[in-house]
Amino acid sequence: MKIVKENAGALTNFEVLDLLNSRGASKDTTRVIAPVTRSEYKVYDYLMETAACTQTRERVAKFAEKCKDFKVAKAEILNIINIRPSSIVELMPIIEKPDDRDLDSDGILELVQDLLPPPPKIETPKDAEEDETETNDEEA
Amino acid sequence: MFYLSELKHTVRVPPHLLNLPLEDAIKSVLQNVFLDKVLANLGLCVSVYDIKSVEGGFVLPGDGAATYQVGFRIVVFRPFVGEVISAKLKESDANGLRLTLGFFEDIYVPAPFLPTTSRCEADPYNRNQKRWVWEHDGQDYDIDDSCQIKFRVESISYPTVPIERAEDAKPFAPMVVTGNLDDDGLGLVSWWEDFDVIDPEACETED
Repeated sequence: MKIVKENAGALTNFEVLDLLNSRGASKDTTRVIAPVTRSEYKVYDYLMETAACTQTRERVAKFAEKCKDFKVAKAEILNIINIRPSSIVELMPIIEKPDDRDLDSDGILELVQDLLPPPPKIETPKDAEEDETETNDEEA
Repeated sequence: MFYLSELKHTVRVPPHLLNLPLEDAIKSVLQNVFLDKVLANLGLCVSVYDIKSVEGGFVLPGDGAATYQVGFRIVVFRPFVGEVISAKLKESDANGLRLTLGFFEDIYVPAPFLPTTSRCEADPYNRNQKRWVWEHDGQDYDIDDSCQIKFRVESISYPTVPIERAEDAKPFAPMVVTGNLDDDGLGLVSWWEDFDVIDPEACETED
């Protein structure tokens, strides 16, 4: 094996998810038929819980384009797309040395609100709810 | 977090794959070789992205299979230093935390990188584990697996395979990520959810 190019470009979470989706990865029972390996499904399952699952190609591209006006590094743009900060306290750890730089953090957050859809709410475990309804039925 | 890397590899396509189109056959061999494995200084291979070139097709003497020189691109998981990633708690003991992403589980947060003024106490639910508690403004915040934990990547190391192994050593991990929780906005996601509501007042009193 020979490494030709160690870094042939960075990918956002969304792009990796898109790649797996294009192979037919899914959450339902057809997932066993699709030509996706088990280790790829582990990545897929992780990505489905992140903000990447509601993003679209156009919006991510537009966001990256508009972010250039804010004097943030490429790695930071990538990280913002992956994490999708919704408040200032979520944005600050992503930015390197935020105190020394003159950044329009409110502008970035507004842009995030406008272009990147919010991540899905983490659902309460369904089994527990179902169990409760079942017991209720029995009682009734 | 994810990168594309370009590799070249000599692929032996065994005869039982000859019924497939060449590209599919090569891809399945590559998947067997690389997927879910760590290449030193490159990262964890996640998925074969595409095949760029196929050369050769020689049948070597004494070998019943065709051998190709294949150039391809592969998606690797390789976090960069300073990146913020959300993970879940896997274990916590007196030395610190161990976090998991589902597909990658060798993320360690040693005790000095936990939020300042954290203390370690016995876990009431699991006597084999310890629980870490962050003390802030007189309130206790538990670090548990109730929601996602955000950490900042402090360093990535690729340890070499040990020649001798101690009896009680941890299983060998080819890639170890060290995380940091000690900053505003890092740690459990639920800690910071209502921060915005408190924020304006806090700023006013500070000013």
